[in-house]
This record gives sequence, structure tokens and C-alpha cells, in this order.
Amino acid sequence: MNEINSKNIRLWSMLGTSGVFGVAAIDLVESDNDIIVMTSDLTYFSGLERFLKLYPTKYLNVGIAEQNMVGVAAGLSSEHFKPYLTSYSTFITARCTDQIRVNMGYMKQNIKLVGLGGGLAVGILGPTHMGVEDISIVRSIPNIIILSPADGLETYKCLMESRKINLPMYIRLTGQQNNPIVYNEDYDFEIGKNITLLDGNDIVIYSTGTMVSRALEVAKKMAQENISVKVIDVHTIKPIEIASIVENKNYKLIVSIEEHSVIGGLGSAISDILSQYTSHGKLLKLGFDDRFIHAGSYHHLLEEYGLDIKNIEYNIMKNYRESN
Amino acid sequence: MEKNKDKYVSVFRKSFSLDENFDVEALSYQDIPSWDSVGHMSMIADLEEAFDIMLETEDIIDFGSFKKGIEILRKYNVEIE
Repeated sequence: MNEINSKNIRLWSMLGTSGVFGVAAIDLVESDNDIIVMTSDLTYFSGLERFLKLYPTKYLNVGIAEQNMVGVAAGLSSEHFKPYLTSYSTFITARCTDQIRVNMGYMKQNIKLVGLGGGLAVGILGPTHMGVEDISIVRSIPNIIILSPADGLETYKCLMESRKINLPMYIRLTGQQNNPIVYNEDYDFEIGKNITLLDGNDIVIYSTGTMVSRALEVAKKMAQENISVKVIDVHTIKPIEIASIVENKNYKLIVSIEEHSVIGGLGSAISDILSQYTSHGKLLKLGFDDRFIHAGSYHHLLEEYGLDIKNIEYNIMKNYRESN
Repeated sequence: MEKNKDKYVSVFRKSFSLDENFDVEALSYQDIPSWDSVGHMSMIADLEEAFDIMLETEDIIDFGSFKKGIEILRKYNVEIE
């Protein structure tokens, strides 16, 4: 097992979440003989170069055949294996929706999907490869847990915790190499329990994936203007922690930030809960509007589509002033 | 106090699990199995810790050999004689 220390936290940040999967995959198979790793032709992008050399018999590359991969994984799962599958987040969800629905949701086979490049990380490859509707698709299927870690350490923790739960899961990985560090030391992590990173009274921000570090940055800037912001890391999008949403429902402004469409993701999950109450604060959902995103580099696209720190701060401030 | 050169060599030995007789000075990326993509990042993290610096992404990518590393570290005011 990898030790959680400052060196590894920096290493995992440099590797990016996909690279962390490659590191964690070794620990996963060493901790459980039934775990196997499958990919649809993304060995190197999944950080699995070393894994392949060490454990060639625990590895199955099915080629560019994601739907088949889920079908094969379902068969292996029914024979006691515990497969972890990797591909681009959109290919492993949208392309395989029926296989996920039947083999994972309905049959509850213990398959873990690891979606690489969630959001805009592979923006340079164009809209066909971007994962901006993946949470929405998987969230609508019963019985599937959805995790979305904030940084390298949380990615490692999500993966290591995932092996303890014999249920289907979708682990969505966002960001690129040199991902910002949110957690610079070990901490308590429990699937299904949000983490409050910063306390505040004026605004509450629910964030997930790469947007957690941005939410913290925005909160720091707003503190300089005497606006107190609570920041929450929602690493488990399904089942979402209802108590946390209810507890904060009376903030004047409730914000969700995600590298995902505003339809069906974290913001929608929060909205589903708030809508059951007659009284709650205004919900501002920050994510991508209902349109396809053109090709471009990661940071350029984040800026163009309003998910850089400056635009996030502007949108929150505008809505905060309107709500006061 | 340990000289920078000794520290630099010892990071290479530790990160790539090499014994004292191994000639690290001739090493380049992927010359040995342990200097793969994960090993590379691990070596960079060890270097950052040893010299209390933080490398830019371009320098991490550019760090393709023992010799090239000496050149890059100079930018961070680390002189390897």
C-alpha cells in the first residue's frame, strides 16, 4: 500500500487523477486477489504502464469496444471477480448506457467504472471525447454509486474505499496533470459523507471534482470583501448526503459548481432535494449550459465556459448582491 | 552538510531503487524499468523535497536525463557541481 505522506500527495497531484488510478490499481490487486483491471485501449492514459508490466494476468485490454467491456466485466463479476474498467468518461457511460443499466443497475454486478477526462480535460480532442453529460446519465440509473474526487489524494482514497463496497460504482476523474492539491495531509474519508472544508455564514458552495479547489480560491477572494463562504466537497454525488443539503437550505445563496452540464449533475441533485421544501435559498448552478462545447485546451475552455476563478467569483457575487 | 551533487545522486538511487555501483550519471528516461512515467514523477517529488523547490510543469516534462536535470535545477538556484 502507498503511504499517505507529503511526497505522495505531491506525486499524485503531478500524475493527475488518471495517473493516480494507475498507482492505486497496483494497490488494489495486491489487496484483493479477485480484482482485475480492464481497459478499452487506454493503457497509458489510464497510467497503467507499470501495472501492465507487474500484473499482465490481472489485465485485460478489450480494444476500442466499451460496450463489450462492460458485458465481459458482468460475466467476470458473476464469477466472483471484481473488475475495474477504464475509458474516457463519455465512452464508458454514454456509449455503454444499456449495458450499465442492465448489468450494473438492474443486476447489481460489482463493476467499477473509472471515467477518465471527466469535464473538459480532454477538450483538445473535441466534443466527441468530452465528458459533460456522464453524471447525468449514470445518476438516472438506480443502484449505482457515483464518486467524484477533488484531487489526487481523494482519488486514491475513493479507489481504495471502493473495493470495500460490493456494488456497482462510477468513479469520475477530472482535471489534468499537476492538479491543484486540496488535501495536503491525511483526513477521514467516507463514501456518502460530504466534507466541509471551510465554514461560512453568507453563501454555501457545493463543489465536486476539480471545482473544489476553485471553490476554495473563490471563497478566499470573497473573504477579502467580508463575505463569508462555506465550501463543501461533494465527493459522493450518488447517494448524495441529504442531511448536508437540508442543513444548509436556508443560506440566502446556495451554489453548486461542477465540470459538467447543469442538467442532471450535482446542481440537479441538490435541486431535487431543495424542491421538496417550501422555503430555501436561491440555487445558483454553475456548470455548462445546454450546448456542445467546441474543441480547445483545458484552461482556455474553463475560462470560455465560465469555470475559471474569475468568472465563478463574478457570477456568485452578482447573484449574492441580487439576493440581498 | 551533504553536497548538492551527493543529494542529487542519492535521489536518483532512492527513487529508482539503484545500488551504489550503478552509474546514474549516464541515465535517461526509460533506460531502466523503474524510470517509467510513475517513477519519473516520484523522482521529481523526491527532488522537490530534497531541495525544497517546486518544479514547473514544462521542466518536469523536460527532465529527460540525469544531465538535463542538472541544467534544469540551475533555474531553481540549485547548483550541482
